[in-house]
Amino acid sequence: MNKKIDERIPQNSGEGAYFKNYYGIRSPWNKIYSYQEALHYASRFEAVLSAAATQALRIIVPDYVQRAQLMCEEAYERLYNAGKYYGNDDDYGIHPFFCGQFAGALIGDKGDDALLMCGRCQDFGTYRAEKELDVCDWDICGSELCRATTMSLQGQAAATAERRRKGPTMEYMMVEAKGCGDRHCRIIAESREKYPAPPHELWESFGPAVTDEYKKVTQEEDCVSESMMFREECDYHFVNGTNNETDSSNQMVKMSSAASTYILPAIAETVKRGYVKREQADHILKCVLEAAGKAMFGERYAIKACRDWLGVPNSIGEDGRIMGGLIEMLLQSLVCQYEVEAFNKEEVILVIDRGGLEITGTKDVPQTHLWMWQGMVKTLVNVQWSLTEEDSPDGKMRIKIAKKIDKFM
Amino acid sequence: MYKNIFKYDDMKRAEHMAVRTTVGWYFWTHQILEISGPDVTAFLEYMYPNKIGNLAVGQDRYTTMLNEQGEIIDDVVIMRMDEDRYWVSTLFASMTDDWWYFHQGDYDVDWTEITDEWAMYAVQGPKSKEVLEGLVKDSIADLRFFEHMDTEVNNIPCMINRGGYTGEKLGYEIYVKSENREILEEILKSAAEKAGGREVTEFQVMAWTLPTEANFYYMRDLAHTNPFEVGLAKNIDWNKEFIGKTALLKIKEEGHAREMVGFEVPDADICIQSKQYGGPGEPVFIEGEEEEIGRVSKLVYSYVREVNNGYILAKKDKLHEGDKIKIHGYDAVITKMNWM
Repeated sequence: MNKKIDERIPQNSGEGAYFKNYYGIRSPWNKIYSYQEALHYASRFEAVLSAAATQALRIIVPDYVQRAQLMCEEAYERLYNAGKYYGNDDDYGIHPFFCGQFAGALIGDKGDDALLMCGRCQDFGTYRAEKELDVCDWDICGSELCRATTMSLQGQAAATAERRRKGPTMEYMMVEAKGCGDRHCRIIAESREKYPAPPHELWESFGPAVTDEYKKVTQEEDCVSESMMFREECDYHFVNGTNNETDSSNQMVKMSSAASTYILPAIAETVKRGYVKREQADHILKCVLEAAGKAMFGERYAIKACRDWLGVPNSIGEDGRIMGGLIEMLLQSLVCQYEVEAFNKEEVILVIDRGGLEITGTKDVPQTHLWMWQGMVKTLVNVQWSLTEEDSPDGKMRIKIAKKIDKFM
Repeated sequence: MYKNIFKYDDMKRAEHMAVRTTVGWYFWTHQILEISGPDVTAFLEYMYPNKIGNLAVGQDRYTTMLNEQGEIIDDVVIMRMDEDRYWVSTLFASMTDDWWYFHQGDYDVDWTEITDEWAMYAVQGPKSKEVLEGLVKDSIADLRFFEHMDTEVNNIPCMINRGGYTGEKLGYEIYVKSENREILEEILKSAAEKAGGREVTEFQVMAWTLPTEANFYYMRDLAHTNPFEVGLAKNIDWNKEFIGKTALLKIKEEGHAREMVGFEVPDADICIQSKQYGGPGEPVFIEGEEEEIGRVSKLVYSYVREVNNGYILAKKDKLHEGDKIKIHGYDAVITKMNWM
């Protein structure tokens, strides 16, 4: 018999991630989930919210090319500037002798692992780099997001290169994308000095690669489902080729979401460019996010599954505590501080740290959650119940879940 | 598919072989910590396992840095600049920053990172000496391995260190102030080309293919190993106290559990994961057995031997030179760790 003991999550996984009582999350009914599970939950929930927000962007800018170009321009500029003013080469193991834009690949590599987008680096050199992902929670958002993330990496790579001795440029391309239905996401970066190719528009960042024949494709049976920081054979650490090593403790608090980092800034850009007024953009976002929230629990089995996941006892019927408990799980997973002001069968009131929910400092993120939760409560509990923001103190978002009649709802 | 990223790349080949046959020069600036003070030698003796105090001014030494468990956390070259002043050439200055503070205790020392002030260029290969002799004010003929001297190149003050990371018998490193970087590059470019050499621009050549051929490690190879496992224990000074000594003595007494071995993969176009790209590396099994006996640390290409070559960190005494194994379905053979 094979006496191998399959891998287990170490008891200290999540240590240092600023949890209050456990290295994990706990529902109001004492259902406990590990840090790893919490991170997966938060990542996917935020991806679902982001996918809904993408639909709003699609309504605002119906033309694919125009939308993708806008997203790419916005992402490139913002991440270029972030890299220029806040980039820290030591954080990624970028050595002093690295010349040119290839060092940017280390930034993408580490970011992928932190966002649970697990896979492997297949090549890393001055003139060519390749990264293959097996998992991407953001894959439901749409292919224009894949293009924008590639251009954000391009921006980071350009900013990093400017701090260094001049070297070859690199063109980063997502030649395969899970968001397009491919098995993997595959970023290939090529130096055009070594591998010439015709120029193209910013949004056309899908290749093809000149060096396609060097591509290394991992077969299905060798694919992974967890980041290095959650894998036994990696000793539960992310480590890159330059020996930059991190554990999982800070990954969650640093986490970005597609909405916070790409979609909402792109919508803000549509307002800035005058495509829509801010009120129109918010109206579209509200409509889409509420609908998405309602769709989450439109079927009875989804409600049953949610109650089971939260450990809701049978004695608790349809009331706001279920929704409140679910929100608490998300907030804990995001390591977002909150206080419970009320939690009973008539009402639930949570006072949430707004900054903690902004995720990478995007101010619109708490409001998008509010709209989505308002939709969710209608199906998870029932239509008598509403979720509203009331009397928020400075820096907080005070949400109330209670029965409410509104003739214009 | 899986076309070898090294073998068919003429640029990498030319850069690699320039170092092996004529001369190759490249920007090779590392992080430099300048450490000084009345207690500096005693402090460094404590911080590193190899002997430091017997270095004369103008001499260098390679050594590992260990944690309390005897694991390698850095490997560096220490240069004695003056009686009470040293340079530590490293790629992990930021990672070991806290380490220095934590262990300073009562040692009367100061340290500062001076990386931005200096640029370093490697000039490596059989014609490197000839090329540099044509450039320097003072002859480097008497400079022995791991010795450095101050001189000038075209009136630019510089320090020449004989050493390198390529395994070449003749190899040098030139340190100049950062503001003189571009002038020196022009000089090196012209001089190397006249000697039939060229600039090495590819990271994979300077950090992977050249050093691996000569059995040198890049820090990723050494992560979470101890000096016994990777063959770096022979110069440890057991007569002094140093961080990690207690743990290392225990390992010495009980024997180390793993060892680094060389291997080759004859097939050209392969897909085998190795730690040099990050991650855990491909698992290694003896054919017909279920027990994992190691992981692929490094897999590159020897342009001298025309074969895929690398290192496996394996359970001790499980793999021997000449053993035939399969890695991810590819035939491989265990070899010595030197392809020069």
